[in-house]
Amino acid sequence: MSAVDLFQITKSFGPIKAVDDVSFSVEKGELIGLLGPNGAGKTTSLRVMLDIFKPESGSVTILGGPMNESKKDHIGYMPEERGLYQDIPLDRCLAYLGSLKGLGPAEVKQRSASYLERFDLTAFKSKKVKELSKGMQQKAQVIATLLHQPELLIVDEPFGGLDPVNTQMVKDLLLEQHQKGVTIILCSHQMHQVEELCDRIVLIDHGRVMLYGALQEIRRQFSGHSVTVRTSDSIPTLPGVERIEPLNGTIKLHLLPGTAPQEILRSLVARNINLDQFEISMPTLDEIFIRVVQGQGVVA
Amino acid sequence: MNKLWHVAWHEYQRHVFTRRFVLVGLLSVPLVILVLVGLIFLILSLDIDTTPLGYVDSSGLLTNPISAPAPEWPDKPVSILAFANEADARAALESGSIQAYYVLPADYLSTGQLRVVHLDPLKSSPRVQFYDFLTANLLKSTDPAIANRLVKGAEIIVQSPDGTRSISSKNWFNVLIPIVAGIAFIIAMFSTGGYLMQAVVEEKENRTMEVIITSVSPNQLITGKIIGDTAVGLTQIVLWLVFIVIPILVFRNRFTFLQGIQIGPQTLFLLVFVMFPAFILVSALMAAIGATVSEAREGQQMVGMISLPIWIPYMLTSSLMGNPNSPLAVGLSLFPLTAPLTMLMRDGLTILPAWQIALSSAILLLSAVVAIWLAGRAFRLGMLRYGKRLKLSEIFARQKA
Repeated sequence: MSAVDLFQITKSFGPIKAVDDVSFSVEKGELIGLLGPNGAGKTTSLRVMLDIFKPESGSVTILGGPMNESKKDHIGYMPEERGLYQDIPLDRCLAYLGSLKGLGPAEVKQRSASYLERFDLTAFKSKKVKELSKGMQQKAQVIATLLHQPELLIVDEPFGGLDPVNTQMVKDLLLEQHQKGVTIILCSHQMHQVEELCDRIVLIDHGRVMLYGALQEIRRQFSGHSVTVRTSDSIPTLPGVERIEPLNGTIKLHLLPGTAPQEILRSLVARNINLDQFEISMPTLDEIFIRVVQGQGVVA
Repeated sequence: MNKLWHVAWHEYQRHVFTRRFVLVGLLSVPLVILVLVGLIFLILSLDIDTTPLGYVDSSGLLTNPISAPAPEWPDKPVSILAFANEADARAALESGSIQAYYVLPADYLSTGQLRVVHLDPLKSSPRVQFYDFLTANLLKSTDPAIANRLVKGAEIIVQSPDGTRSISSKNWFNVLIPIVAGIAFIIAMFSTGGYLMQAVVEEKENRTMEVIITSVSPNQLITGKIIGDTAVGLTQIVLWLVFIVIPILVFRNRFTFLQGIQIGPQTLFLLVFVMFPAFILVSALMAAIGATVSEAREGQQMVGMISLPIWIPYMLTSSLMGNPNSPLAVGLSLFPLTAPLTMLMRDGLTILPAWQIALSSAILLLSAVVAIWLAGRAFRLGMLRYGKRLKLSEIFARQKA
């Protein structure tokens, strides 16, 4: 069952098509990564999803139907550009944001106390938000997003500005929410985080969906563009090889487009190279991202 | 609680429960009024000199003189002394025992001419008191009640044909009250509008907007803000009233002029049905400005477009006071932004025709509704516009907000 369905969404700003015929679904309870370079249309897609922008065409179904006011209480959204009231104390800021999500004063108090404790912010709850460090504000934003225990969590660059300890804390929190059955859309540039957390991804570029599906499947689709060999011999220049890259005691051979890994294996054997290992490399998400954005990928 | 009320309460408490509100918003106007009242009393007291006056009467009109009615507070009575000749009066003047002396020639009745001699400039209070003394004695043979009335003058009460509304020319304070109330209302209106504009711009500047609008609808947000910030303004007004009314009640028995102070039903009607919609109108326009601009400073520049027409009636005070029923006055009463101050200025001076009050109120109510719609639309279009101003043409363009 889908938690979110975007169907042929198009949204323009003047002559610029920010989102062009975008369709994808987010299954209930899944943690999906939304990727794309800057200006690709990710944030616009999220804003259309959240009914902040009305699309010119297409339809959005969210939590089983069109967006309405009551559904807003079941969605937690953390935009890339963080926003908290700077001139009021942290606890009052959380109380207000919680009340707008339908929480009563007692619930807000109890839940904020628990999260503030978890994020080591209890001592700072009476401080004005502007007096907190950037990292603390980031954590406060995470609390504000989770306070009402949303069914659907949309987080845009949740790790930006966090040190490794707090990054891990947020990552654990996302996984915990995922385990609780919360649907999570994770928008991030940090590919290794997406790779670590998400089972499926949507990659958008120039307003269009370029890749969409299970991460392992996508990696399989993009495999074959490099091979990893382990040998004590030196590797000569081979036809079809673009670049040779030593990598942790192995050698990675980056292949030219159209070159099959089997051709490379044949070339190596023909040149009497002693091979201890020959493996078709699975590309990292970073590599896939770069290739798609540079126009070398497979359009979904 | 509806989210709209959460927004309204948030706006209200973040402005009211601050030191700045108590110091600037609350105490500023009562302090200004206190300073003004103090200045008025200072000017009045500078005009008072209780040193006796003298006179030399060759006309025989001031033989066995009677006293004039005592002057009203804050004026103080001046003793008026008779001198047998001008030399004695001159000596008294030079010795400082009198501040001036008048000489009534024998033909005063036919010529109306008299001389006054003084060393230092003669202030208006003793001058007026001598004329009252002279008038009272000229009317000595007349019925004392008539003489007294002639000296004290008439109190003209302008009354509406149905007798429900009236204005007295004697209670000058009552002329000032609507004007002062109007100015106080407008100050509160602008501080409220300022809060509102600041709140909208701030939420754009600190990027809170995107979080908020995923919790409430833009309409709930803007309406909640308008309600909350209007309540801030009304709190300000109510507290100002408390600061003003309490001293009036306390000193009512001591100063007789305070007893004549009254706020008529017409003034109350104007405050509710003209000033209140005007309040909403200005608040909504300020919110719309906040939604269209990208930073607070830019918004302040645009506020001038609203504040200038609002203060125009103040600039035309002499014309409006000279003829409070002129076509100009009526025209300004019907234009939404000039109506609030014009109506209250005219209220103290004339009986406003019921149709003008009703029409002005209706126009303001309609304008307030349109302004809220405009603010809502500008808000929806401009809420996520960072670093780029929303054009007026975009607000009116037929596209999805």
